[in-house]
Formats: sequence, C-alpha cells, structure tokens
Amino acid sequence: MRIAVLSGKGGTGKTTITSNFAVNIKNSISIDSDVEEPNLHIFMDMKDPTSEPVYTLYPTINKDLCTLCGKCGDFCNYNAIIPAKNQVVIFNESCHDCGGCKLVCPTGAITYEKREVGKIFKGTTKYNTELYYGLLNIGEMSGVKIINQLKKYSELNEETVFIDSPPGTSCATVAAVEDVDYAIIVSEPTPFGVSDMKMVVEMLREMEIPFGLIINKAGLGDDEIYDYCKDEDIEILGEVLFDKKIAELYAGGKIFSDSLPQYKNFFSDIYKNIRKKRRSL
Amino acid sequence: MKINEIVVISGKGGTGKTTLAASLIPYLKDLIIADCDVDAPDLNILLDPKIRSTYGFVGLKKAIIDPKKCIKCGLCEKHCKFFAISKDIVLSQSKCEGCGVCEFVCPVNAISMVDAIVGDLYESTTNYGDFVHARLVPGEETSGKLVAEVRKKAKALAILNNKKNIIVDGSPGIACNVISSLTGASQVIIVTEATFSGLHDLKRIHELTKKFNLKTQVVINKFDLSPNHSEMIEKYCSENNIIVGLKIPFTKKIVRSIVKKTIPSIGEKEFFKEIGFLKFIDSLTQS
Repeated sequence: MRIAVLSGKGGTGKTTITSNFAVNIKNSISIDSDVEEPNLHIFMDMKDPTSEPVYTLYPTINKDLCTLCGKCGDFCNYNAIIPAKNQVVIFNESCHDCGGCKLVCPTGAITYEKREVGKIFKGTTKYNTELYYGLLNIGEMSGVKIINQLKKYSELNEETVFIDSPPGTSCATVAAVEDVDYAIIVSEPTPFGVSDMKMVVEMLREMEIPFGLIINKAGLGDDEIYDYCKDEDIEILGEVLFDKKIAELYAGGKIFSDSLPQYKNFFSDIYKNIRKKRRSL
Repeated sequence: MKINEIVVISGKGGTGKTTLAASLIPYLKDLIIADCDVDAPDLNILLDPKIRSTYGFVGLKKAIIDPKKCIKCGLCEKHCKFFAISKDIVLSQSKCEGCGVCEFVCPVNAISMVDAIVGDLYESTTNYGDFVHARLVPGEETSGKLVAEVRKKAKALAILNNKKNIIVDGSPGIACNVISSLTGASQVIIVTEATFSGLHDLKRIHELTKKFNLKTQVVINKFDLSPNHSEMIEKYCSENNIIVGLKIPFTKKIVRSIVKKTIPSIGEKEFFKEIGFLKFIDSLTQS
C-alpha cells in the first residue's frame, strides 16, 4: 500500500509525520519526493547511501544537416530551440525533453544529449528500514523527472510505502501523489494552514485519491479547520498537540515518538485505521 | 527611477515567509505588493484585498483527444514522454505539458491542442498599496510562468504609479517558480528557522541565490528554539558573507495575530520594535 503525506502549506509537519510513521510501521519503506528540499533522510539517519544520477535530454544540432528551415522552432512550445539567421540556438534549461523537435526535423539534424538534473539516493536507515530520496541539482527548473524515477522504487515494493511529498499543489506534487492508494494531509489550525489545505483537497478530489487529515500543532491556532472538515466531510485521522518539546526535537533532527513513546500507538493506530478503510472500499 | 524589488523566499516551507513579507508591508512606503506563491497563496488572508480586475491565466496548451476520430493506434501514448496518455488513450490533463507531440504523431487528426485556463490573476486594492496575486488551479503545471506574470504586472503598476518598492512573497523550494521570482529582482530575503532542516535547506537556496548575484539577507525565525542551530546558521552566514538582518524569537503572539487575520507587525507592534524590526526595514530601503 502506498501512502502519500502532503500538506499544501510548507512547514506543517509532513516530514515529521512521515518519519514517525516510517519508524513505527514494521516493514515499511519511505520515499522523500520533496526533491527540492529533502529532509527525511536527516531524521531517519540514513547510513552510507548509494546514489544514481537522473538525466534529462536536450537537443543538439548537426550543423552539416541543418537547413535552418525553422520547423523545430515553430514546433517547440517552450522556446527552448530558436532558429536564428546562421544557426539554431538551444536553451537547454527550458527544454522539457518532449522529443518533438527531432520528430519534425526533415533532415535528421537533431540528436539528444543527456544532462544530469539530480540524483536518487538509496540506503538503509538507523531504524533498519529502506529509504529513497531525490535531490534536484541547484538551478534546475523541475524535479518531476526525479520524482517519476523515485516512484519506480515504490512500485517494486509490496510492503507499505510512505511518500513524503513536496509542498504546494503544482506539477511536482501531482507527480508524487498520483497512483497512491491513500493520502494523509498534514495541516495546522491556522488560517494559512486551512487555506492551503483547501487547494490540496481540491487536487486530491480531482485525482480521485481517498484521504484523511492529521492536524499538527493542535491548540496553537483556532477552530476554522474543524468547521471546514465538518462542512466538507473530511475525516480527522488524529491530532498531534502543539508541544514545544516536539518542536525542539524537530529542531535537533529527532523523531519525536522516539522520545515521547506515548505517540507510538498513535501512528500505528492511524495506520491500522487506514488499512481497514482500504480493505472495505 | 530604479525600482527596489524585494523578494522573500525560504527554500524550506513554513519558516515564515508570508509572516515576514506581510509584516514588512505597513512599513514600506510607495509600495506594490505581489504574492508569487501561486499554489499556496496566503498573503490575501492578511491584506483583505478588494479585487479590481481578474484575468484568466492561460498556461501552455493542452491536448484534447476526440474519441470519435481516435482509432486507438497507440502512437500518441508511445510518444508522450510525460505519461499523460494512458494505454486506453485517455488524457490526464494535469500531466499534459502541452508539447504537441501527440497531435503531431496522430495519423487521423484526432488530437488538437487548445488553450487552457490554469489559473487566475488578480489586481487588487489594499490599505497598503496595490496588490497583485494569483491562484494556480491545483495540480497545474507552469507555475513559473504565472509567477513571471504576477511580477510583470506588479512592475507595470509600479512604473505607472511611480512606486519605488515592490515586495514579493515567494514560494518554497528551489525550482522554476523560485527561479522565476528571482530573475531580475533587486534584493532577496531568505527566511530560515533554527532547525536542522532549516540549515540544510538554507544552504541549498543560498546556492541558488548566489547565481543571481543579489543583495542577500537572512532572517532567522524561532531562533531561540534551538540556539545551537541558530549559531550554526549564523556561522554559515558569516562564512558566506551573508548578513543576518533579523532574528525573531519563538512566540505564540505571531500565530495569535494571524488567527485574527491581522498583520503581525501591526498586531504586535511592541514585539516587533523590540527585536529590531525598524532597523531591518531601513536596511531594505537603503541603496
């Protein structure tokens, strides 16, 4: 079963919640698909990871074959290939690697070269679980390629997979959560938390992914989130109270249920509840 | 006149970008405000904007497959590099990146590329100046392009109305929408927090901002939550010649202010004065 943890708003506790599930659910593996700013491996304490590069392709022109006909430039919707007077100029960061320019080139002047956009790290954590995370190279526009590559690992594994997702609701988040069996939204009871969560709810409903909510930092803000869940018939899976101790443990890169064992059952109970629900669907 | 465009970003989400950006607003004169966190916009919650105009944002075109013409040959599915077309030839709108390859390879012209409205852009009035904001339809691509649109509109308003300053609330991460908010900006504020993750992510976002050669200041939020990590951040900043412009202690006062939908620096004036906020404002407007 693949379970995505996401939030809309950053900093509500996605990684905190994912890491607590990952250490309390036996035989689970975890994937950090927040490739722009991955943090899960810090909390899970990953030992000696191995890495593999992730590539994207971009076009190069064989000047001897190119007739400067301009068809590649007309086709490209990303302005990544622009035929000028004497040569075709390539802006390879803008290229989406769709393969269109090669298809339309009448003289076969276009071939593709690969460029590394980031890496995938894999290894075993201090908790003796498997962890995979992606890391986008600085200056790259999109982590979607890495996220799609990461997903292959979740498909290979038949156990439970927890996927720490990127914040927001744009293409990277869609890539991370599509095809999951269940999504856990982590939000906080503040106007910002509720506003950003609404966008996530809209996205998950559109994608037809079942979901529930964990309220983190409960007691810190107001009650708007409870009213919203009631109106929208959203299940609250559980609440983690606002506790300075938890914040301090987080600051130090620690998983809080390790130090606050009363929370161990909290996570395994939510997990059992989700499993039960999935079976009844 | 040179416009002073201040961009607030963070790398890591939830460190307090919007809280800081909102708090700066009442203290900056001749101001245009822009919210570039287009897939989680929150500044509007504190600014109570009166929307003057709404524009549909057309992103890249999207494919539409006519099932009456489609012969299910599978060529489009085979050529689509974004996995946007399923084996039974159904298009996923959110995965389509609008390249047009499927339209090109389709032997029976069953596919056409059409404009898709993937967001809204708003021009609003607030008590503190004109406000440009946007909302991307959840699950959509091209947020970088929408960010560029928001900034363009903000700049046009600044020139038109002779405003000196633009404040930009950015998005988390380091990818296209962040790159898009930094291109051509005047200065950047990186909001971080005194945690292990905060430090880790600060280093990555700073690697990115370095490429733009911008005047950069760091704000350490909740610095007293872990004095140890706060020190590590300060050490990193001094080694990399970045000014730590402001340190904000952890306080429930800020959340309380946000819950009341009040700008924290207005709701908690004394608190902000005590932490040296006014001096920080001065540093943003000195050229």
